[in-house]
Formats: sequence, C-alpha cells, structure tokens
Amino acid sequence: MDERFRILEHPADVGIEAYGETLQELFENSAVGLISIIAGSSKIESGHRLHVSIESTDIENLLVRWLSEILYLSDAEQFIFARADFEKISQTLLKGFVFGERYDPAKHQLQMSVKAVTYHQLKVRRQGTWSATVFLDV
Amino acid sequence: MSVLQKLNDYRYVVPKSFRPGMKIEGLIYADEELIKQIEKDQTLDQVANVATLPGLVGRSLAMPDAHQGYGFPIGGVAAADMEKGIISAGGVGFDINCGVRVLSSDYHIDQVQPNIDQLLNQMFRDIPCGTGKSGLVDLSFEQLDEVLENGAHWAVKNGYGSYEDLHHIEETGKIPNADPGMVSARAKKRGRNQLGTLGSGNHFAEVQYVSEIFDDNAAKVFGLWQNQIVVMIHSGSRGLGHQVCTDYLEIMQEAMPQYGISIVDRQLACVPIKSQEGQSYLKAMAAAANFAFANRQMMSHWTRQAFARVIGNGNLKLVYDVCHNIAKEEVHIVDGSRKKVLVHRKGATRAYPKHRPEIPQDYFEIGQPVLIPGSMGTCSYVLVGTEKAMEETFGSSCHGAGRAMSRTAAKKSTTAEQLIQQLKEKGIHVRGASRSGLTEEKPDAYKDVSLVVEVVHQAGIARKVAKMIPIGVIKG
Repeated sequence: MDERFRILEHPADVGIEAYGETLQELFENSAVGLISIIAGSSKIESGHRLHVSIESTDIENLLVRWLSEILYLSDAEQFIFARADFEKISQTLLKGFVFGERYDPAKHQLQMSVKAVTYHQLKVRRQGTWSATVFLDV
Repeated sequence: MSVLQKLNDYRYVVPKSFRPGMKIEGLIYADEELIKQIEKDQTLDQVANVATLPGLVGRSLAMPDAHQGYGFPIGGVAAADMEKGIISAGGVGFDINCGVRVLSSDYHIDQVQPNIDQLLNQMFRDIPCGTGKSGLVDLSFEQLDEVLENGAHWAVKNGYGSYEDLHHIEETGKIPNADPGMVSARAKKRGRNQLGTLGSGNHFAEVQYVSEIFDDNAAKVFGLWQNQIVVMIHSGSRGLGHQVCTDYLEIMQEAMPQYGISIVDRQLACVPIKSQEGQSYLKAMAAAANFAFANRQMMSHWTRQAFARVIGNGNLKLVYDVCHNIAKEEVHIVDGSRKKVLVHRKGATRAYPKHRPEIPQDYFEIGQPVLIPGSMGTCSYVLVGTEKAMEETFGSSCHGAGRAMSRTAAKKSTTAEQLIQQLKEKGIHVRGASRSGLTEEKPDAYKDVSLVVEVVHQAGIARKVAKMIPIGVIKG
C-alpha cells in the first residue's frame, strides 16, 4: 500500500487516517502519522530499541493506548518513534519492539505538542485492508 | 428530530427531544451570528451528549465561545449532584487547569512601547516556550510532589513571587485535596521537566494596554486604568495534566460497567463522584491543577524580572488568575434549594459575583475578575462575575474566543512572515518559537472575542470591566 497515512482537519485539532495491509502495518503507520505531526519531516533513525506491551478491551482501545504510549515516549523519554516490530498483535494485545532515536534539538525540528490521543470519532475498519481514524488534542 | 429553540436574543435551548437519552435540556448562550457558527460543527450534539450523563442537575450549558471538543464541547459547563452524579475526566479535559492570569503594571503605554522589542526579547529568553522545551528548574520527584500538593504556594515559598499574589488566584493557587499519590509515575515523568514552561498551541504571554474601561468602579478596585500596561499569561498543566487525563479516561472506561453506566461517546467516560475511581481522579486532577498554578506563578516571576531589567521596575500586581478547565465542588441553588454540586468547566471560567466567600477580600464588594483572552493580535477583556451567573450557569462564563478555523486551513492561508508583518503594522510585536505555531494561531482562525464577550455581557452572566489590546506577544 503506497499511502501510509493522511492528516485530517478538525476545527480545533488534528487527526490521522492511517492505512495498512495488516494490523501491524496499520499500527505502525498510525504511529508514523503521529510522529509526523510532532516532528514534521525530520529524519528519524532507528538505532534505539524499546520493548512495549499493551493490553486493551478492544481494537479501538488498543489503538488509543498504543498511540498514547508513542506520545508518552516522545514527551517523557524524548524517544522519537521510527518503526515497530511486533511479536504479537491481536484485537486486544500488542507486544513487540519500537525503534527510534533520542530527541536531538540540533537534528529534529519539533512542530507541534500533542496533548493526547482521543476517542473522538475513533474508528478502526477492515474492508480487505485496514484503516483507522483517530483525533489528537493539540 | 426537533430543532434548537430560540429562547431570547442570547439564549438557545437544546430540548430533550433533540436526541434520545437526554436527561436534562441543553442551553447555549449565543446571538444569531454566533449560533450560526456553533451549528456548523458538532457542538450541539456534544451539548446533547453531555445531557445524557447520569446525575446532572440544571442544564447542559455551552458558552458563546463554544466549539466542538472531545466528548464535552469546549465552552461546556455541567453540574453533577454530589450524591448521585458523576465525574468525567473528559469533562475537565486534557489540559487540566489551563487558565489565564493578568498582572497590572505601574506603567503607561508610552513608557513601555519604545522598548517593547527589548522587553519581548528578554521575556522570550527568560520564559521557556515552544514544543519540546524543558523548564529551567530541575525537580526531583519528591520536589515535584510538593508542587502537586501546594501549587502556587510552593512557587512563592521558593522565591517566585510574593504571598500577596496567592490571594488573587482562584483557590489561592492550591486546591486542597490534591494527592500526588494519585498521579501516575508516567504523568510525573512527562511533566517533571515542564514546570515553568509556556508550552505551545494557543498558550501565550502578552504585553497589553488597557484601551477601554466600561466599569470605572470595578476597574478601580481591580487596579486597572486607561492606557495602563498589563501582562496576560495563558498556560496550563503541560504534559503532567495531559497524562493524568489520559490515565483516568482509561481507568473510568474500565470501571464504568461495574457502576452500570453506559455512554454515547467514549470520550465522556465517567464514574460516580463517590466511587473510589472518582475520588482518586479528583485528587489527581487537583494535583495537576496545582502544577498549573505553580507554572503560571513562575512565569509571572520571570516576567517581573524582565520588566525590572528592561523597563525599570518589576512591580507587576497580580489582578487575578482563573482556571478554564476544572471540576469543583461548589454550592448552588438548584430547584430552589442549596445543593452541593460538582461543576465541570471545560473551557469556561468561574464568574462569581460580589459577597461570595470564595473571592478575595479586596474584591468582595465588586465580584470576581473574569479574564477573557482573545486570539493572538486581537483584544482581551476583564469582566466581573454576576448574580445572574449564579442563577443560570453555576457561576460560570466564557473563556476566550473559540476556534473557528482548522490549523491546516490557518497555515495554508498565510505565511509566518506575512502574519508577523500584518501584526507589526497593527503595532503588535511577536516572538514565536515555531513559525507554523504562529500561523496556526492567526487572529482570524478564531471567533470574534468582542462578539463573544458582548453576548456574555448582554445575557448578564458576566459584566464588562475593561478591554485590553496587545502590543507584544510571545508564542510557544
């Protein structure tokens, strides 16, 4: 699939529509979309690795928790996400590694502070391939 | 589906027939112009959705600056019965105690304007702002807990401002039931390096002058006079507050089924106030609110220093500091009798009238200052709370202009250079950490704040005291 994500407009905030052939791809592309909002077109290396493990009640909840984790890592740990390698992913569980690099003000141009990932108009769909819509409070 | 009912020139009712499940009516404060703008997005649906929550009293309210938010509309007010009602983390919002304060100076505009560039440069150097910017204070987690417990009191004790300031802050800058133990380690980690930072988005520090006085007596009591230089600071609880809300949205969603609560929008997740989860949230929310009070207090200190260095004296008196995003236990008259309720203000300002014990002694005969920031480069207002607000809105009023244009549309329609030039031509000097941040916040991306304030004034839920126009802006 060529297009990984698209940025959506909202009167006060900003959204992501992400796509993927697989659930893994969908989740990875959603996170790349989130980081593009935070760090613009800065190039992100994938030299650092962290383990993540997230449980949820359903697929939409899993997406919010996953993106909230990526946001937390960027805001609190200064870890900027580049890609993911999932050991396991289901509707309610995600386990694996995220790769990225430490925030470097000399190299990365941060564009926008994202406050949170919301449940507003949240949707995860599967029609052949996967797509998801999620809005961020910025 | 039934439509909106016009009650009078400034009030529109969202009847219970608007959507199934509404337990109370909705009420929107707007004139014909603003209601058209409000109807363009999902504000009405969100006012109606709030009205489906259990245990609310009165009406689900929206102020004239209301626009679509998440779960609750921005500009929404809802009060829950303390015994049977709920607390909703989304009803407070991600930026807990996002708020605004105004500091008044001894200076006439003519004494400051010639040095405005230098003053802004100094403030821009001294107040950390923008995305990813760390604060100047390196706090241990133990010290952070002290901030969360004591708010602006911590800041004053540590040399940021004076004890006099505390009298002029809502809740004296310290919500008493804060418990840092209810704030997750993740929230603390996210916020630890952000204390004393402005942030980005719509947060700003502005040097303004008083351009018009509407109420001589109230202005005098608040220490405001024609052509006086004042400073307005708009910021919140930064990543710490955002994470507290994120954490408790999840906790509330998980707990809801055990209390038999079902909701129409996941962002409205809520639990009974009396529940263990509800009590924990209120303690964590208070801690995040205290972080925001300390944050604004520290930035005021640096602003005073900048004034002292560039202009002459840093004698800036705190007029007042109000919360825009908060839930508070208050006593109001409901159906003719006094009742304890939990008032959710999501993008709304407390607007208490005179003779309320909660307001500062020196404002006791006038009422509480209600501070309304405009968008960048437009005007701002100081209003005063009224009895009418107590009767109709649980003592609440509007909080700002309210966004009207998406960030992407705002960015597309102008460049940062054009915007800086346009503002300069209007006599407004700007320092911004991010060029895209500036254009996203361009003045016409917002509703007309004067229109919003006029509706509030005409409806009587706050009264105009003074208008301010910026001469210098610092944006994150």
